[in-house]
Amino acid sequence: MPHSVEKDFSYVFHTKSTKSTLKVAVTVPLRTSVKEFVARLVQAHNLPCFAVQDLEEKLEEFVNRENCSLQDKNAEDAIKKVKDGEINADDLVNQWLPAYTEELKLYSKPYEPSKDEKFAEVYHSLIHSPALETLLNLEHEYSLGVERLIKDRDRDLQHLQEKQRKEMDEALANVGTVYRDEDINLLAQRQFENSQTVESKWVSELSALHEQQKAEYREWVHRVHEDSQGNTTLPTYVQRLRSMSNALPDAEEEEREAPITRLEESFTIHLGAQMKTTHNLRLLCTDILELCRHKPHTVGGVVIPQPQRLQTAMSLYSHSLCGVVMLVDSRLNTYTGSKQKFALVCDSSTDFHFPSLERQLQVIEQQLPLAAEIKAQKRLMRGEEADQVSLNSSSSSGSASNEDKEKGGERRLHSGDFYLTKHSNLSEVHTVFHVVADDNLRTSDITSRHPVILAIRNIIKLSFRYDIHTLTVPLLLTHEMTEEMTISWCMKRAELMFKCVKGFMIEMATYSSQESRTIQFLVPSGLSEELFHQISNMIPTIFRLSNPLVVKSS
Amino acid sequence: MPALGTAGFGIRTFYAATHPNDKCGANGLPLTPNSVKILGRFQFLKTLSHPRLCQYLDISKTKHECMLVVSEHHSSSLKELIKKEGSIGESEIVRVGYQLLEGLCYLHNNGVVHRNLSVEHVLLDVEKNVKLSEHGLYYMTDYGADVSFPIGLPRYMAPEVLCSGPVRVDEETGHCVQPLSGPKSDVWAFGLILLQLVLGKEIWARLGIKETLHKIVEMIKSDMSPIDIFQQDATVASKLQGTSRELRDVLRLCLTVSAAKRAKSSELKQHPLFRDERMKAVPHKEEVRMCTTELRCKDLELPTYEETIENEFSDDHLSRRSMSEVFYLWRLAGGDLEAVLRKAGLAKTRRPVHLLPCYGIVDGEVFGQDRDFAELLDFTVVPLSQEQLRYRLRDVPATAYYPLLEEESKVVETQSLPTSPSSGELTSSASLPLVIREKDVEYQFHRIILYERLLAAYPFKRPCIWREARVDIPPLVRANVWAAILEVEGDVEGMYDSIDKETPTTTDRQIEVDIPRCHQYHELLSSPSAHAKFKRVLKAWVLSNQQYVYWQGLDSLCAPFLALSFNNEALAFACLSAFIPKYLHKFFLRDNSAVIQEYLAVFSHLIAFHDPELSNHLDGIGFIPDLYAIPWFLTMYAHVFPLHKIVHLWDTLLLGNSSFPLCIGVSILQQLRDRLLSFGFNECILLFSDMPEIDIERCVQDSIKIFCSTPKSATYRQHARPNKKKTSEDRPNLSYYSRDYHDQPQSELSMEPIPIDELKGEKCCRISAEDLIELGELAGAAYSRSPTKKRQTSKPMILIVDVRSPEDFRRGTLQDSINIPFQTAFSPEGDLNPCSAVQTLNSRRNQVIIVVGNRGRNAANFANELVRLGYSRVCVLHKGLDVFRTTGLITVPPADI
Repeated sequence: MPHSVEKDFSYVFHTKSTKSTLKVAVTVPLRTSVKEFVARLVQAHNLPCFAVQDLEEKLEEFVNRENCSLQDKNAEDAIKKVKDGEINADDLVNQWLPAYTEELKLYSKPYEPSKDEKFAEVYHSLIHSPALETLLNLEHEYSLGVERLIKDRDRDLQHLQEKQRKEMDEALANVGTVYRDEDINLLAQRQFENSQTVESKWVSELSALHEQQKAEYREWVHRVHEDSQGNTTLPTYVQRLRSMSNALPDAEEEEREAPITRLEESFTIHLGAQMKTTHNLRLLCTDILELCRHKPHTVGGVVIPQPQRLQTAMSLYSHSLCGVVMLVDSRLNTYTGSKQKFALVCDSSTDFHFPSLERQLQVIEQQLPLAAEIKAQKRLMRGEEADQVSLNSSSSSGSASNEDKEKGGERRLHSGDFYLTKHSNLSEVHTVFHVVADDNLRTSDITSRHPVILAIRNIIKLSFRYDIHTLTVPLLLTHEMTEEMTISWCMKRAELMFKCVKGFMIEMATYSSQESRTIQFLVPSGLSEELFHQISNMIPTIFRLSNPLVVKSS
Repeated sequence: MPALGTAGFGIRTFYAATHPNDKCGANGLPLTPNSVKILGRFQFLKTLSHPRLCQYLDISKTKHECMLVVSEHHSSSLKELIKKEGSIGESEIVRVGYQLLEGLCYLHNNGVVHRNLSVEHVLLDVEKNVKLSEHGLYYMTDYGADVSFPIGLPRYMAPEVLCSGPVRVDEETGHCVQPLSGPKSDVWAFGLILLQLVLGKEIWARLGIKETLHKIVEMIKSDMSPIDIFQQDATVASKLQGTSRELRDVLRLCLTVSAAKRAKSSELKQHPLFRDERMKAVPHKEEVRMCTTELRCKDLELPTYEETIENEFSDDHLSRRSMSEVFYLWRLAGGDLEAVLRKAGLAKTRRPVHLLPCYGIVDGEVFGQDRDFAELLDFTVVPLSQEQLRYRLRDVPATAYYPLLEEESKVVETQSLPTSPSSGELTSSASLPLVIREKDVEYQFHRIILYERLLAAYPFKRPCIWREARVDIPPLVRANVWAAILEVEGDVEGMYDSIDKETPTTTDRQIEVDIPRCHQYHELLSSPSAHAKFKRVLKAWVLSNQQYVYWQGLDSLCAPFLALSFNNEALAFACLSAFIPKYLHKFFLRDNSAVIQEYLAVFSHLIAFHDPELSNHLDGIGFIPDLYAIPWFLTMYAHVFPLHKIVHLWDTLLLGNSSFPLCIGVSILQQLRDRLLSFGFNECILLFSDMPEIDIERCVQDSIKIFCSTPKSATYRQHARPNKKKTSEDRPNLSYYSRDYHDQPQSELSMEPIPIDELKGEKCCRISAEDLIELGELAGAAYSRSPTKKRQTSKPMILIVDVRSPEDFRRGTLQDSINIPFQTAFSPEGDLNPCSAVQTLNSRRNQVIIVVGNRGRNAANFANELVRLGYSRVCVLHKGLDVFRTTGLITVPPADI
């Protein structure tokens, strides 16, 4: 069933005594206008000008006729196939069905927002109303409750540990006299089980508290929302809480000072050759968890929520989200290292909006088989090409994939993969991109094709797609400074990252709107101040800063 | 574009299909988003104007591939008519049917298939006339390939459409795999609509999609005619029996399974059923374009007096303006499409935080993301209220809608704006910055009406257009005004059609490489439709200028014209063809080095003339114009700035002569002056590799100032366009501003070609004896061509420095000149040796300093030294004092005091 067809067109015209015939093959439908086509014919065949108008008419008629018959033929073919049963009519109807039910509002089931989304709507309207303060204070109260429980837990666990150590010390001292080796083993086992029970008791207690708080909070929010819908005047609870916050004592001298000053420097840059878009860059030197953790903030001795908290809460359901990139190992859990610390921060207060971190990780795990399938497909496609190029390397890659399978590893995370968690209870962050990185990041010679850098590209792309307007990226692709990270190593890495991020931003901005975005480059807190300034001096050489105001001496 | 009449505007949305992750096209570049493709294809639909169609007005894309389409809208539809009135009489059915056919025939003749015909999409205006809507969806989405939803309701699906199955998109080309639907699928839907009108109710109203489709399948498989199948229902049969044989015949012709046997829309129009309607119908007249050889007065019927009275008595003058104009004003009056949608609750999307995926792999594939329900197709049309616009224009008197274009002799410079009670206000807004004027609805309203009238009288009113353009050009009419200023005339389309733009040539490859890099941030220009047009216009230019070659940069030059006259390639081509000889004469020669070298040398002179400090600094670090200014001049800044700035720059540039671009260059340097002065070579290179943001309005104002304070002969170039034979009297010799040096009469006192090496060796520009006479008023304060001298009462603005030996000086020199002999002028340190003449020189630093010498190089060298010492506005008399021998202007200076 062709879209176009070539037909012979013949045209006859007479001059005084001779009869001339023009025969050309014409592709129907014409790609250009008839007039233009005729002009070409006139040029190519040196036709007399008196024939032009007639030729135009004849050609137009010819094209219309042939076009119509082409379309008729195509239509007849399609109909015939169904009529003859070559195509099953039921199959055909079944192909059409989803096309309509999945793409047209008219035919699809009306969308029913989930419980979370309904809550989101209510919350978003309340947080942009006078009830804002109340909400934050309530959240804060709840978080203090969690804090108390965590303190108790830590004390209890410490106490248990101490007791067990004493027991063990005593037992070890008396080995061979009172206790046998087996007894020691038994004791160790008992202690272990004991601490497991205690720990799990605390875990369940904590999650119970989270659940309880979440339920209470949500119910309260819904109730307040209903109340505020009813009467237009400020509801009493707001007035009450207003007066409470008004009654806060004045800040004391030492509290007025910013608690911890972190090293940071901001830049406004232009991207693009002709059309310029304006963006913000910030270089900051701090620990990544500092962006997540709520810092104690007191006014007049009373602990109150941090101002950043307000910003984060108000923008949670907006079109301007904050994300942070965190580097993790390839295991999807929270047992070790920075992942564990992050999990502690997450659990230190209740997330009223999203599932717990653990639950989110479980959901992510469910996606792994699907992803593995896609990966395998892609590898297969690539593999076919690669095989033709180099046959000898196939043995090594084959063994590698076998290895993967032995570990059940198709479900494993690979370097450059990332998973995403959402949080409402962190300080300056809504979403965390956990990028899987391996140890070779420490070597100095990584290129722009390194999986982690590709992951950053993918993340920037997602940020543009999903309205994440502020993204924090670890500039050196590390969260901690180590010995081998020399000044030259740092500078080289910073340069690579700046250039890559610049490229990615230009790439992503190509077809998207002119919105400005903020990229924060994070360097570990262990970095020297001097090196920080060296890195910040590099920014103007790589990015085009917006026109500076030059101060004139006169 | 039809007049507004009683029509309203409506807006609808749909989502374009997104591409799979990171897919690349055949050329290795990322795929163009479908939304951009649609944007490009849509433009053609704007040119379709017919009384039976809802006029398409505008398309824009918002975040995440959402398209907003604005078109004419009417609140009632055929669906409501059927619902409300049930069956209508046969004469009414025939009337509606014929009007439908008129619309369909027009579409089909223009190669557009509706594919979306249904009773909902047939709107009725207040006089119950048919207006087809949604007729462009199938066309603009590349026959359904660019969207994920099917086009057309299942009930109206023609058999061949159903049999082809839902659209499958070819992975490589991005186009639809199946054959495209022909016009006859519209005829089937037309038949169904007609049938429903006869029945007075919707057919299969209660059936689901599946059942509906099975009904059609049944018809396909059956050997009976579909109309007979319908008649198996007794009520249908009885209704049909009550109609005329001719109507039944039309129904049978439409509702035929076999497409080949089904009638064509043009055939149906000739059916005996519509005999009476055909008699009554008024033939539709196509709008005439600005430059055409067709007779504009063809079948012109002067309205009779009564008719005029009747029409003029309508108070609603706005309704007589064209729709595009009213929509343009609607926007300016605070119309915001997205806000309208938000208010109607249509733009409601889910919260981004809920849509986020939860897992991504290194290839960029992501998992766990949710689909936004808002992306599903919704047929709702939100009407746009014209209230605010009408409120803003409530005080505009009726006379302002019909401004008189006075006789030219009566027009005084200051009265360029229409005289209306509010014109005082208008002249005050005329002094506001351009960006504000462009957003002022009332100001734009007056300007557009004025221009529209002037353009209708083009080329007769060209002097008026020219004069108005010096105030400003409204964006809405810019394409045509530019064409008028560039003196585009004649059979533009015929010319363009006669060029063979299809046969491959050797430059094709380069053009194809350049286009995807040219102003691609501009949504329209980045669409495949624009790329095709780009290629055709560029090829046409290369083919029609055989003496020239394609140089990179030609694409950038073409971009502003194409963006403005997107639907009129021929006009864009004509403008480009007129623009290049005017400003870039010989720039596109295969070997253009001589031309460019001369241009750059004159540019350096101009920098030295206006800003010696900057010139010295740049020369000192070796940052010569060759390193940065070639793309500026080769593309007339079209490569340097984004389109919205280029249009403002060119608005003025087009009015200036061929040396005006040089002044723009100087004004750009002046904006960056502080930074350039503090920068070394590498930083300068870096600065210009990625041009910093330039305030374009300031740039324009500065360049006008620079232009006006530059003696005309200072920018003399031997490679500029030679004098045109025809002296165009229709363009006013408003000022010196618009004339080229070459257009002035030549004499032996004029400039003459200077060898390029000599030119490059000098730092200062040369001035002709003619200019000197004028500037110095040596021949009396007679008729002046030069704006340099503004006030008649002021002192002459030049200082003539005679650098010959004192003996020569005493023997005879020019009036009022001072003598600083070159031989003794400078101390060994390079400073000027103090003397009374030097004091005079220092006290009159704002004036143009003209260094006069003998034929040797002394004068030039002296001038170079002055520039080095930071004297501005220094130039050298061309050919030395000897040139005045015959003029009798040489006098003996008064004796030294």
